[in-house]
Amino acid sequence: MHDVSDLKHRIKNMMVENLMLQVSVAEIDDDQALFGPGSLGLDSVDALQLVVALDKNFGLKVPDPAAAKVILQNVNTIAAAVQRHQTGGESRS
Amino acid sequence: MSARVILVTGGNGGLGQAIARSFLDESADNQIWLGVRANRSKADALAAEFAGRCHCVELEVTQPESWKSAVSRILAQSRRLDVLVNNAGSHQDSLLANMTPGAWQQVLAINLDSVFHGCQAVLPTMIGQRHGRIVNIASLSALLAPMGQTNYAAAKAGVVALTQSLAKEVARIGITVNAVCPGYVETEALARMDAEERKAAAGRIPMRRFGKPEEVAAAVRFLACAKASYITGSTLKVDGGIL
Repeated sequence: MHDVSDLKHRIKNMMVENLMLQVSVAEIDDDQALFGPGSLGLDSVDALQLVVALDKNFGLKVPDPAAAKVILQNVNTIAAAVQRHQTGGESRS
Repeated sequence: MSARVILVTGGNGGLGQAIARSFLDESADNQIWLGVRANRSKADALAAEFAGRCHCVELEVTQPESWKSAVSRILAQSRRLDVLVNNAGSHQDSLLANMTPGAWQQVLAINLDSVFHGCQAVLPTMIGQRHGRIVNIASLSALLAPMGQTNYAAAKAGVVALTQSLAKEVARIGITVNAVCPGYVETEALARMDAEERKAAAGRIPMRRFGKPEEVAAAVRFLACAKASYITGSTLKVDGGIL
């Protein structure tokens, strides 16, 4: 449980730094939508940067837009994908 | 000036050679990679002259897999990629009425598709670095399309448009994308003109002379330098004042 919250914190930190977000890590909720109305307000360029950052920081490849749509919903979904990858459940393309 | 890793496509041509030399002059620490195909004697000679600083890498610019392989090789050896100069190009001029579909497609592939594939190949690296410079060699034909070059002019106009659009996409990531439009420059293409064509061409240039590859290379080097950090999406003509 401690590992999961630490992972989510690292993901949020990565988002704030790489996307130059004007919010702090503490202000991002785990289940807050990243895109769309009422979300963190990310756009397609942010998504592109997130995909590269996930590969660079966690070795997680997001192979196509369909996978990105599933993985990049919120911090929870990103953390789950990273965990699956780290335990060998996520295929690397 | 800190050391940079630079990939120049069309590394065997006169303009590619001049661009490479310009970056070699910029810093003794720069690493230059020349994208080459089967015809590579001049590129090999330059790599031999600047052994350890200048390298050749096999690159078929119209093939995404070839780009992937070339970028992987550069990263394996140089660890980063700071500048991409999309310089490779060719033309097959004829009136549209006589132009074969093959001539149309080939010129579009070499001059425009190549830029798409190249940018796509280097972007993940440049995004990861949060820094990069892309300079696309377009042509004056993109802005002032002459007769007999529907394929080439359309391709180069496409390069200018791609440059502007991509520049907006990656501006916030620290990557700049600019185009250079050379006019009549003393390269292989100009050497193929006969005396009468050269005279007519020179007459259209306010400076009354053809450009030198080094003069185009200087523009490329400027757009790729650190001080050009607020210039993106621009098109820089190097044409002796034609337009």
